This record gives sequence, structure tokens and C-alpha cells, in this order.
Amino acid sequence: MESNKKYWKGLEEYNNTPDFVENNKNEFAEPLPIEDVLNEAGLSTVTPRRDFLKALGFGLGAVTLAACQTAPVHKAIPYVIKPEEVVPGIPNYYVSSFNGQPVLVKTREGRPIKIEVNTNGGMFNRGTDAQAQASVLDLYDVSKLKSPVLKENETTWAKVDEFVKGELNKAQASGKKIRVVSSSVSSPSTKAVIADFAVAYPNAKHVQYDAISYTGIIKANENSFGKAVVPKYNFDKADLIVSFGADFLGTWISGEEFTAQYVSNRDHKSLKNGKMSRHFQFEAGMSLTGTNADTRVPVKLSEEGPALIALYNAITGANLAGAALPNNVTADKALKLVGKELLQNKGKALVVSGSNDVSTQILVNAINSAIGSYGTTIDLDNPCKRYAGNDAEFAELINEMNRGEVAAVFFLNSNPAYDVANAKAFTDALAKVALKVSFSDRKDETSSLCDVIAINHNYLESWGDASSYEGVYSIIQPTINPVFNSRQAEESLLIWSDNAVKEYYQYVRNNWEKNILPAVGSNWKEVLQKGVVANAAKPAGTYTFGLSLASVVPSVLNSSKALAKDIELQVYESAAMRDGRYANNAFLQELPDPVSKVTWDNFVAIAPKYAEKLGFKEFDIVSVKAANGYTVELPVLIQPGQAQGTVSIALGYGRTKAGKAGDNVGKNAYPFVSFTNGTLKYATTVQLTATGGREELAQTQTHHSFEGRNVIREATFAAYQKNPAAGSGNDHAKHKTYDLWDKFEKPGNNWVMAIDLNACTGCGSCIVACNVENNIPVVGKEEVRKRREMHWLRIDRYYSFNVEADAHADHGAHGHSNGINSVTKEKEIAHLEQMDNVSVVHQPMLCQHCDHAPCETVCPVLATVHSSDGLNHMAYNRCVGTRYCANNCPYKVRRFNWFNYWNDSRFDNYLNNEFTQLVLNPDVTTRSRGVMEKCSMCIQRIQAGKLQAKIEKRPLKDGDIKMACQQACSANAIIFGDANDPESEVSKALRSERIYYVLEEINVQPGIGYMTKIRNTDTTVQA
Amino acid sequence: MRDISLIIRRVWKSAFMFTALSVLIVSATQAQDVVEGRKLFKDKCASCHQLDRNSTGPALTPKLTELDEAFAIKWIKNWKSLVDAGDKTAIEAAKFSPAEMTTFPTLTDDQIKSIIAYAKAGEPKKAEDATAKVGAGSDEVSSFSILGIGLIILISIAVLVVLGRAVKMLERLILKKQGVEVVEEESLSFAAGTRRMFKNKKFVFFFILCLIVTLGSFGWMGMWNTGVHTGYQPVQPIKFSHELHAGVNQIDCQYCHSGAFKSKNASIPSVNVCMNCHKSVQATEKYNGEISPEIQKIYTAIGYDPNTLTYDKSKEKPVEWVRVHNLPDFAYFNHSQHVVVGEEAIRKEKGLKPNEPVCFACHGPVDTMEEIYQYSPLTMKWCINCHKDAEISGKDNAFYTKVIEAHEKIKKGEKITPALLGGLECGKCHY
Repeated sequence: MESNKKYWKGLEEYNNTPDFVENNKNEFAEPLPIEDVLNEAGLSTVTPRRDFLKALGFGLGAVTLAACQTAPVHKAIPYVIKPEEVVPGIPNYYVSSFNGQPVLVKTREGRPIKIEVNTNGGMFNRGTDAQAQASVLDLYDVSKLKSPVLKENETTWAKVDEFVKGELNKAQASGKKIRVVSSSVSSPSTKAVIADFAVAYPNAKHVQYDAISYTGIIKANENSFGKAVVPKYNFDKADLIVSFGADFLGTWISGEEFTAQYVSNRDHKSLKNGKMSRHFQFEAGMSLTGTNADTRVPVKLSEEGPALIALYNAITGANLAGAALPNNVTADKALKLVGKELLQNKGKALVVSGSNDVSTQILVNAINSAIGSYGTTIDLDNPCKRYAGNDAEFAELINEMNRGEVAAVFFLNSNPAYDVANAKAFTDALAKVALKVSFSDRKDETSSLCDVIAINHNYLESWGDASSYEGVYSIIQPTINPVFNSRQAEESLLIWSDNAVKEYYQYVRNNWEKNILPAVGSNWKEVLQKGVVANAAKPAGTYTFGLSLASVVPSVLNSSKALAKDIELQVYESAAMRDGRYANNAFLQELPDPVSKVTWDNFVAIAPKYAEKLGFKEFDIVSVKAANGYTVELPVLIQPGQAQGTVSIALGYGRTKAGKAGDNVGKNAYPFVSFTNGTLKYATTVQLTATGGREELAQTQTHHSFEGRNVIREATFAAYQKNPAAGSGNDHAKHKTYDLWDKFEKPGNNWVMAIDLNACTGCGSCIVACNVENNIPVVGKEEVRKRREMHWLRIDRYYSFNVEADAHADHGAHGHSNGINSVTKEKEIAHLEQMDNVSVVHQPMLCQHCDHAPCETVCPVLATVHSSDGLNHMAYNRCVGTRYCANNCPYKVRRFNWFNYWNDSRFDNYLNNEFTQLVLNPDVTTRSRGVMEKCSMCIQRIQAGKLQAKIEKRPLKDGDIKMACQQACSANAIIFGDANDPESEVSKALRSERIYYVLEEINVQPGIGYMTKIRNTDTTVQA
Repeated sequence: MRDISLIIRRVWKSAFMFTALSVLIVSATQAQDVVEGRKLFKDKCASCHQLDRNSTGPALTPKLTELDEAFAIKWIKNWKSLVDAGDKTAIEAAKFSPAEMTTFPTLTDDQIKSIIAYAKAGEPKKAEDATAKVGAGSDEVSSFSILGIGLIILISIAVLVVLGRAVKMLERLILKKQGVEVVEEESLSFAAGTRRMFKNKKFVFFFILCLIVTLGSFGWMGMWNTGVHTGYQPVQPIKFSHELHAGVNQIDCQYCHSGAFKSKNASIPSVNVCMNCHKSVQATEKYNGEISPEIQKIYTAIGYDPNTLTYDKSKEKPVEWVRVHNLPDFAYFNHSQHVVVGEEAIRKEKGLKPNEPVCFACHGPVDTMEEIYQYSPLTMKWCINCHKDAEISGKDNAFYTKVIEAHEKIKKGEKITPALLGGLECGKCHY
């Protein structure tokens, strides 16, 4: 059955705006000045000819002169004393952990250049997130301080120690309080150091808070089950997942891990076994998780509470008041169905909510208890330890400081002057503290207010440990000597508290050898090799919710009522920036948002219909004013799927003191967060007014048009079960094809890829991995606007309506007759209401390494040619930059270097400086201005893998060579290998009935097969 | 008279040579034990001891001069027994750091005596200097003679020309005297001659053709050789001789270039590798007992003080060698691929002898290079020619056996070269 769904990349494509049509005609965003040259004046004037000759003459002279230069003298400087383990040219790998994710750090000649997955990583062993991939750039950040700072002046550690110790003794003597403020600490050793510090200074206390708080869940579990923890969620054990605004595949708690769990029930292997989970998402703003849901229902923030009550009623048969959703028929209908299905899937279902409200989370606990989640999909006995922040404690800290009770405060991994709800109250209170010490590595919003900045190591320079889950421990070991005169924060605390052990390495080791290693039966050496050790997990107990909901329900309803008064604003954690701590990472700034594809900015997301109602057009700058008076001006982004009456703004932007790349990118949305009912609330009411301004966002989504061709193929799970080839185009006889070119022999290897669209969540980790591996430059906001982003791998996001298209829509064999017009045919122009109900498909798009590549035939200098192992090679030193290849590429995956990004002062803020360039992969050329580039299928990895096999005198094995994108993918959506080996993973995957090739109708014979998107929808809930 | 003085000089020179040689021989026979002592010293002692300065062990010349010979013999045979016996001198001597001395119970008294004799006599300097001078002298003579021959040829040509003219003149005079009318040669001015020459179209055509061919071929050669630096031999900060190390001393290439068989970089040795030998090898015999200034540069780089035998980390300063073999950034070259995987094919292709290291295929006869220079052109054409010709046997490499099997199906019987396996494709070296 051929799908007749229409897909579009953006609203302008859907609406076929004149601009879009115009832009699509041109290959490049900026028109070439041909008209100017060819107009009458241009041809009749004499000067151009003379200028041309002058330029020609100058050029000839200059080239001749330049050629006279003798070859430059290169110095070769070997080590004085070569470390035994270093062989120049051969990478070394060290286990470490990033935010509790076990990782493998690849170093070359002593400098870390890439983060890879640590396959011993247990629950994290499938991939890494975009932040981990990009984190290696933070090490080489020029905005970091080079020495510790005492009262605004760079100084030595001896002076810092003398000052801090003196002040601490004064504080201790005065009997006033000492506070160590940090984001959640999961590290057992750091916790021990702080505990030791508190022994030395009995007035000291550790205050943990998180900018993105999970206090609601912790308090709710304490209330319901007496366990103040974030539980361990098992999405892999859930056949039915219902999420109320929790972006669990993206930012919620542990997105990478949940992605791996979630996808294990939905990828090609699971589908082969005829199994696929079902996922409902009820949310206001379109999140990454929402785009992956089988059924996504937009609900307002104020409707989430009533929706949960309705669900509770539907499951338990209770009759709690306030369950009505009078204005949302779809949601009402969906909830009834969800209730029914949850009861059918008792013990195999999971309900999660992204809310930080204690009452709401108690209600969620009651629902989960009713469907038997505890002990199966929720594990309270092996809890997650990544978040332990307490919102109330931090609020109390501000009060204490205001009352002048605090004499010394230390900030570890925290930046409250930027990321707390009431930053103004905080900074005012901070001014009353005598000793303010920050362990930040730069002069950020908080540390610039401190007396001492005791600069901390980057995690790649540190010893340390982490414990993401109870009983699971991972090690952090240094991979490079400290670059600057920094000192590990824990070591500073040990020195200031006169600990017997002052070296943190020794401290960590002692702590492990005493407290951790005996219990897990391992030793220090083994830990340094494996990176992770774990106790046997405790059996997950079943818990039953037995409390009354009498006080909970009114609290939930009150919050809802308060929100329903006005336009509802949701502030959410940005997928790339997270809580803002990575703001100075240029790779992350340029990583397109998975849903909106916006880079280098945040924005106000508004549903199309609602925007029309308010009179806003896309990119209009609007002023957003909250009830507390805070106002920001941001451009509008029209977001299909956004709930009516709501707007969303991302957190993590608007840093003012992040560094060169991150300063003043977007606007700060933290002041919209409020502290009510004991926890932070990420929703409020706002008023929107137009300012009359307009600012185009730097989006990547519409940069390349597929002219409405059928590039996405999908089917429902029901159809798949009947026929696995459903929707793939493999279920009927294909055209006989004729080749213009001779068949290319690939006798040795034939490198190909299979991409499972059902596994890909669109998170973007692969994009950053590709950037780091292949030295892809960051171009900045202006250049992205001009469609000049350099990403070799992009993730295309396609919207489509959930309704099936008219039966009489054209039945072109593969949709190639569906020109652009078919999307916007009068009869198919849906009402704006339909825009609430869109579904999304993410499609990673990279060079398809076509056997009959259109780019190869048009290159006048043979810079891009085919290889005998199925790759499309690109010889940069041969390319003269005609750009014919990009023009002729049907997949639009070729990128042109408009500038010499590695040596051009315009790009100083990103990667163009000597220090940051230490991150470059020495095995990959940095391309210079005027040449084309594209995905090389990580040819350096293929060559290295082959060489290793040759040296070991053995044939290549499947899995010897892994692509950077493949390695980073937690969802295992990318499978790479040799198609000539019938037993390889990729050969097996390519034999799947779901495989189709994008634009196979033009017979370029791509090397990358895609597996159809399968959606486990229930058609009865569609609007 | 001249002849006589020449004869005297020659006789005197040979007489000097004879006396010098006979003195040498006589002194050598007289000091037979010194010669044996020197041999024994090099064999047994030199790894720790030097004659005139402390290294791992104390300087031997002052020590052995100072000590009683009987004591020294006992000490060398088994110093431990002396210490155990409570000999004060021995206990004092045993304190020398950094290492304990090995015992040599197998050495005979005579042997030890000859070592002592050698240590006392020191390195036989004069004799070596003399032979060195003689060698140098003969070198000069040979180059002088070549110059002389050249000069003689030139002079004889000039003489011939002059004689020829004189003969012509004389002939003419004779003819005149005989009363034969001789037509005087028309003496044209140079300018007029040139003018007439350029009016000759054939000459002009030929001249221009020659000019174009000459300039063209120069240009052509010039362009082909732009950026080709065969023979590039920069001056290095340390006068390191590959001839001495790889040639005379037969040190394996990998001892210093340890990366070549593992990595893409052959790698230049770090200074600590030099120190493995040069902590004791100081070439003092060539520099009047001083450490060779070139070896001193190694010490300076690593912050080593040869007097106190200590390292000072703060004084470390890496050696900035000048890179000789420069491949462009966009070309990927891997040493291990060539010297490990491709060794057999390269040896066969380049016709290396079995005793020559595979490195010589591209780097040339390194063992004869006083200073290293670029031997091969390192152009892409040069790479490709080899990739087209070299034959991969793949017999004992399972990787290639499998790959060749696959290719054999298409190219039956043909020679398997890197080119056939895709070695000429751009992406194999450019990424």
C-alpha cells in the first residue's frame, strides 16, 4: 500500500510562500549578480573590460611572485622525554565519565580529541549524547581563566589559599554559616570531600539545587513511599508509555539512556520479533519526545492536571472532581482510550510527567501504582542519583544570606546568578556575604561577583568519579595535564580544610579502595581500564500508593486555574544548550534544535492558528511580559503542534558572561521560572505584544528542498504486521530500470549503511560526533542564515498530517509525480486546526555514496570520483569550486567552504584560534576556502580499520570499523558495514522488507538504505 | 736547479713518512699491553667507565693512577670481598653512586694489568692524529691533481690556438716572400657581421627555434620540479650523522624511529632515546678530553649535567630539527602500512638487498649520509608509479588473501598491485 501522506519541512514549504518558491529556484541563498553584470550599463561601459585585464595582469604577477617563494622550512620537534605510552600517530583511549555517562576519551599525542562510547558502560553502553560529544571542545575554550583570581586580579594559589583560609577561620570563629552551593553531586568522592570540609568547619553545609529541578519527583516519592529519590525508570520494560510533558528522549533526567531503552522496543530487531511499544504524549510545546510519539495530543499546561485526574478516574473508576477537559475534545477522547489500554497493559506500562509540582507527581505515583508499574517499569530501590537538588533549601539559602547569617559561600558547578528563578534576589543577598568563592573555570555571571575564582579543572583534566545509579560507579581520570594554572575544586576544599590527604587523586583512590572496590569485588587497576563497576542491582520492590488524594487534587486544580487565566508560557530545557552551562560551546550552539531546526537563538514558539489569532507572523519580534514584570523580546517561531493558547521559550540562552561564543545568544528565560508550593515551576502566564521588529531566525530546516518528492515512507504497525513491506514501496513490482552507466565493480568491500527511521529520535548526537570527528567548522548565526552551515550530516524533520490524504490523491508509483504543488493542492490545504495535529519523522541525511552519483559526472576536474569500495571520494586539493556537484546532488548534502574558517578573523569566536584548534582530528584535512566537502563515510576510520587488520594479518571483521555517527547513536539507528559480506549486520539490515532508498526512482543507486517509519497509532484518537 | 730541489723535497717527504710510520710501529709494539688493555677496556669497562671523567663509574685514569696496582687487581676481580674484609679504601670506594660495580672474577692479573697500563697511558692520541693527517693529505693531493689536469688541458688548448695562428702567420709570410698574392681577409666590424647574420632568414629561424626549444625545455623542467625538493639537505641544529650511527655503528632504524613500524609517523627520537647511549658515549677522544660539542647539545636539551650526572627538568629545551621530508597536509601517508604490511612488495619492487632495511627504498642509502637529505622526489607521480608496479603477493597475510580472492574473480592471472586493489583512488590518500 503506497502511502499518500504529504510531508513538508516547514510551514513556508507547506504554504508555498512566494519567497520559498523563489528561493527554491536558486541553488544558493544569495542570488548571483548575473543580472547586474549583463544589464545594459554593465555591457556598454568600458571599465569592466579594463578592470578585468588589470585583475588578470595583477593575478598573473602575484601568482608568479608567490611561486618564487622557496618552500617554507618546517620544524619537527620531538618530545624531550617521550612518555612510554605515547606513539605519535597512534591514539590512546582512556575511560572516563561525563555527567555520569561512562565514556571513552580518544587522545592523540597527549591531547583529547574525541569522546567515544565506553562499551562497558552498562545502561549507557550504546551511545553518548550531543553534550558529551561536544564536551571535548570545552577543554580548549579560550574564554577560560588562566590563573586563579583574587579580588579581580589574577594571582597564585598560595595567595588564594592564605586568603580563603583566613576568611574561613574568621567565619568559623564568628559562628556564622558556611555554605557549599552546587548542582546535584552524584560523585561519592566529592560528597566525601564536602563532608570532610563540614567536619573541619562545623558551620558548613552542602546545598544542592538544579536549574532544571526534579525536586517535585523526589518530594512526591518521599510523600508517597517514604523514599526521597528519583526512581530508575525502565522504558524497555514498558509496552505502553504515556508521558505528560516529559521529554524523556531528550532532556528529562537521562535522555540518552531512556532513548536506548525506548528504542529497544521499537527498532528493526524488535519489529522483526513483531513487537513494538506504544507511546502517547500529552504536551504543550512540541518536544523531541513528542515528535517520536505514536500519538501526540497537544494539551495546554493548565489542562495537564485535569488530564491526569481524568486518567486516574479512568483507571481506578474513582470520581475525583475537576477531571473535565471542556475545551479539548481530542485529549478527552485520547485519555479514555489511554486509560483502557493502561489497564490492559498492567505491569507493562509507564506514566511519566515532566511537571516539577509535588502534587502532580503524587497523582502520577497514584496512577503508576494503580497500573502496577512499581517493581517493573519503575524501580525505587536502585534509584537514579543524578538529581538530588532541593528547591526549598536554595530558597532558604537566599533568606539566610539576606539575614546576614552566612559568612562564606562556595559555588561548585553552579551559576545561580544566571540560572535561578529570582536571580536578582539572589545577587542582592550574595552581596551581604563576606567570603564568596566560585570554582568556575571562567568569569561567569556568579563568579564575577565572587572574591575568589578558584578555577577548576575541566573534567578531562580531573580525577573523580560519578554514580548515576545506586550501586553503579564510574571513574573520571585525567587525559591531559592541566592546560592552565587551574586546581581541582575538591583539592582546593581539601587544602582549605587541612585534610590529611591533600592530593585529590590519592583521596579518590583511598575512597574507592575503602568504600567501593571491596563491595563490588574489583581493584583500582581494573577500574581504570573498565571505567564502570557496579554492585548487583537490588531486586525492585513493588510499592502501592495508599494515601488519600483529597489534598492533592485541589492543589493540582488550583495551579491549573492560575495558569488558565492568560496566555500560558512554558519554559523548557533546550535540547542543545540544556540548562545553559554549555552556552559557550560553539558545536552545541550550531546544533539545530531537533524540532524547530533553529540554531544560535531561542524564540517564542506559537501554534499557527494561535499566531494568526494574535496577529503575529513568523520572525516578528514580540515582547513577552510575565506576571512578575520580567520582559524579553524574542522572535516568533510558528510551531505546528504547539497547544493553542500556549507559547514556549527555551531555557539555557541569554548568557551574558559565558564567553566569546555564548555571550548574548538568545534571551534568558529563567526569570519566568517561579518558586511556588515549595518547588520551581516552569510555567507561568504572560502577555504578548508586537514590537514591530522582525528578526529572521537562523534555521536550517528549509535550506534544501526535496521539491515534494516522496522521501519519507511510513506505515502503521497494524499494516506492518500484515505486511512487513507496507509503505516501503517493496510490496509491489518495481519498474524495470535502465542504467546509463556501466556497473561499477566492487570486488573487495562495499561500504554501505542502513538507517532505521523507527529508531532515530532526531536527538542530534550524531551531528556533533560527525563535526568533531571530521573537523567541520562552525560558521555562526549569520552564515547559517545564508544557508552556509557546513554539517556533513543533518537530520531532516518532516511534518505530516495525521489524517490520511484523500483517496483520490495521485497514485504515482513512488510519488515522483507529486511535484511541489501536490502538497499545496487547493483541496488538500487543511485548516489551521490540523496544524495542531501533525506527526513528525526525523531522517538523518548524509552523502548517499551513490553508485551512479550525479555529482561525479558534472565535476569538470574529476575531484569527486567513485572508489572500488563503494564510496564517493572527494579530493579537496583537486576541487576548483565550481559547485556543479552541489547543484546536481539530489540529496543536497554537499557543502561549500565560503571562507577559510580555520584562518579568518570573522570566525575567531568559534574555532579559529590556535588553542581551540588543538581539538582537530589530525587524520582529517581541514578544508580551505573555495572547495566542496561532504560526508566521506569516515574514510579515515575505514583506512585505519583496514590497516589494523593488515598488520594483524587477518581479514576484516564486521564491526571492526565504526562510523563516528554510528558510535554516538544511542538508538543504534545507524548501521554501517560491508555489503559484500552477506553475514554483516548491515547486509542483514538491508535485506529487511522495510528498506527503501531515498529517491530510488531517479536510479542513482544510493549506498544508504532507510527503513520505513512505523507508527503504532490508534486511529480512533485522531482528530 | 729546480729539479734538484724537487728531488730533495720528495726524498725528504718520503723519509719523514717512513720515520713517522716506523715510530708508530715501534711504539705500538712497545705498548702491546696498552693495545690489549684498550681492547679489554672497550669490551668490559666502557659501558660504565670513561678514562678522564666520571660517568656511571668514576674516571679511570686518575683512579687507577692513584691506587695501588695490587689493590686495583683485587678490586676489579671481586670488590665485594674487599668490602666484606673491611678494607677502608674499598668501603670508601664502594660509596660511589649511582650504581654498584660488576665483578670480573674471570679476568687474569695480566689482563687487568694491561687495562691499568692503558688507563694510565690514556688514549694513543698522536698516532691517530698522524694517520688522520696523512689521510687528509692524500685527499688534498687527489683534488689538486684533478685541478692541475684541467689546467694543463686548458693551457695546452691555448697553446695550440696560439701556435696555430703563428703557423698561419708564418705560412703567409713565406708565401709573401715567395711572391704569391695573398688575399687579405675582409675584416668586417662585429656590428656589421651580426647585421648580416640576422638578415639570413634560415639562420634567424634556426636561432629562434633553438631559443624556443631551450627556454621551453628549461621551463618545462622547471615547472615539473616546482615544489620537488629532491636533495633537500637543511642544516640541522645538531650535526647528527646517519653515516656514523646507521652505517658504522649499524644501529637499527627502529631503535630511534620507533614509530615507523607501528604508526603513520616514523617519529624523530626524543632526547631520552639519545641518552641511552650518549650518557657514556661522549666522543671525548676526538675533542682533547672534552665532551663533543654536538653531544653537549643533547645534554643541554634534556637538562643533563655530565659532571654531577643529574637531570634538571626546568632546563629541558626540545631540539628543533628541520623537517627534511615534507608531504603536503592533504596527503595521508602511513609508515606502518608500507614498512610492515607492504615490506615484501616494496623490497621486490625497489630491488633492495636482504641486509638493507626496507626504509632504504624511499629514504635512500641512509647509512652513507653524513647529513640526511631527501632522496626521493616525494611527488604524487612517484607514489603512483610504485603503486602501479609493486606486486602484492599476500601469501602470508590473511587480509590480502581474502581481498585478492575477491579480485581474482575479475582479473584472472594479472599481477596484483596496490592500484588494482584501489590504491590509486583519491580517497585512499586524500581525506
